[in-house]
Amino acid sequence: MSNIAIKIENLSKSFGKGESKVTVIEGADFSLNKGEFVSLVAPSGAGKTTLLMMLGCVLEPTSGKITIGSEVVYDDEWKVKDDRELRRKKIGFIFQAHYLIPFLNIEENIKLLPYQNGESKKVVRERVDKIMDYLDMKDKMKSMPSELSGGQNQRIAIARALANQPDIILADEPTAALDKKRAISVVQMLKKITREQNVTIIMVTHDETLLPYCDKVLHIVDKKIEVVVVEDGK
Amino acid sequence: MINLAYKDITHSLSKFIITAISVGVLLGIVIIMIGVYRGMVFDAEVLVSDIKADIWVVQQDTLGPFAQTSKVHEDLKHQISYQDGIKESGAITFQTFQMINKGKDFKVMLIGYDPFGNIEVIDNKKLIEGRVIEKSHYELVVSRKTGYSLGEFVKLGREHYKVVGITKDTVSNSGDYLIYTSLKDAQILQFTYTNERIRSDEKRGIKGSNPHLVNAIIAQTKDGFNATTVARMIEQTTHKKVFTKEEQTRLLLEKVIKKSSKQIGMFTVILILVSIVIIALIIYTMTLEKIKEISILKLIGIPNFTISMMIIEETLVLGVLAFISGNMFARLVTGGFPKRILLELSDAFGLFVVILISSVFASLFGIYKVIKTDPAEAIGG
Repeated sequence: MSNIAIKIENLSKSFGKGESKVTVIEGADFSLNKGEFVSLVAPSGAGKTTLLMMLGCVLEPTSGKITIGSEVVYDDEWKVKDDRELRRKKIGFIFQAHYLIPFLNIEENIKLLPYQNGESKKVVRERVDKIMDYLDMKDKMKSMPSELSGGQNQRIAIARALANQPDIILADEPTAALDKKRAISVVQMLKKITREQNVTIIMVTHDETLLPYCDKVLHIVDKKIEVVVVEDGK
Repeated sequence: MINLAYKDITHSLSKFIITAISVGVLLGIVIIMIGVYRGMVFDAEVLVSDIKADIWVVQQDTLGPFAQTSKVHEDLKHQISYQDGIKESGAITFQTFQMINKGKDFKVMLIGYDPFGNIEVIDNKKLIEGRVIEKSHYELVVSRKTGYSLGEFVKLGREHYKVVGITKDTVSNSGDYLIYTSLKDAQILQFTYTNERIRSDEKRGIKGSNPHLVNAIIAQTKDGFNATTVARMIEQTTHKKVFTKEEQTRLLLEKVIKKSSKQIGMFTVILILVSIVIIALIIYTMTLEKIKEISILKLIGIPNFTISMMIIEETLVLGVLAFISGNMFARLVTGGFPKRILLELSDAFGLFVVILISSVFASLFGIYKVIKTDPAEAIGG
């Protein structure tokens, strides 16, 4: 059984046509293993969000190939019939802000996706209890997002991303709204999750002080992607 | 499965209820307008229905006595009574008065009828106090809405009339309260001139007035006789216009209140359309307020169907709550209206179906927004 979580081959993305054509990503190649904690670093406008949206099957690439686990999802055209179902079952998302659904309580926010996937109440309850125990947030199950602090809500957002047991989690600057201490705490938690849950996390960040916590760093340089392996925090 | 609509509604319950009540007031006005129309139709029929006559004989070439003025001689009733198929006949007059009682200004229709005749003019079921007229002069039966009490004296023309009976729900086709007096008194009030007028007429060579006129002759047919056949036969022999009860009712509905009812009907349709547009705008605005949440839901993989169902369910709940509050509002305020407003269950049910269907259509605006929302909006702040 392959250990590859996500594989990108010759991936390109351009916007516009003719003279106004702008290429953001060109011929990108990389692959990430299961259980790796990877950060994506680039200056503003270099294409971080574009890459993240392509990996999340939200934005269609111009060309190339994307494989998630053993499933080819894009090969010069979408190969998945239902991108929403793919995201629901294989991908987790964490955003800059927690973006929890304000009219659902914490428990409902977390259980929404597994229920949508048709999982039984018993299975979902056991898994969510485990995740909430793991994140030390079990006593907040019945709270509303508005009743929790920013840091607590971000942990709930992580719980939501884990609830559907995804292969990869795409985290778009999850520490941007947090102070340094909380940011490090969240990053440490994400790293722990990758190890213990065998899930691959790709985290977009501007904060270079968080890079030592990662296994790999993806740099977007001149529309290409360079993969730097982090060893001993360097 | 988590019901998103229920969760969203309960999360901002007070806001949702206030919105529903606001739409409900608008629907309440629609319900009242339908009630006004129904009341108008009911009032148009009530007078002809109360008078237990099968045939109405009026002046030739007129549509009297309600749609057009009609004057015929009182003794025509004898000629009518001899016709084949006629059981009873009687004379009747109609006249409007402006009255004031206890500072309240109102219009009445005075009906003059023969108290010794055999045709029932006052519906006994509607006589709630006292009795019908039993004397030839100076007795009056009034609608309770006039505010007069039993035994009270009321001045009409030059004479005072004693109130001997009080009725309820008796109105003319235009919604005016009904009062009844003897035919003789009614003829004096309608056809007898003042001394000054008689003197003035005499100087012009006009000799006297004729107090033996009436506005119509009413008749009942014998059992086994068809009213329409009898009416056509009387028309041929008397040179008068004759209507059956059904024709008279149809005349009232088609000629007398047709324009008013059409106007109210059109106004009601416009109000319903405005209500639908407002519901659609509210749903669209409610969807716009949730656009960030919708893009997140779409991004994490919730299907359009689930999100659209949330919009449809919220719209339906809004429609149902608005309908309930609209009905409550309508029933609360209709008592204060001067004319009859008939709130019928079938109309309410019809409107309910229209509002439910319209609400689903209105929610399409919201659903369109859901489908168009780009899940990528959730990424990048």
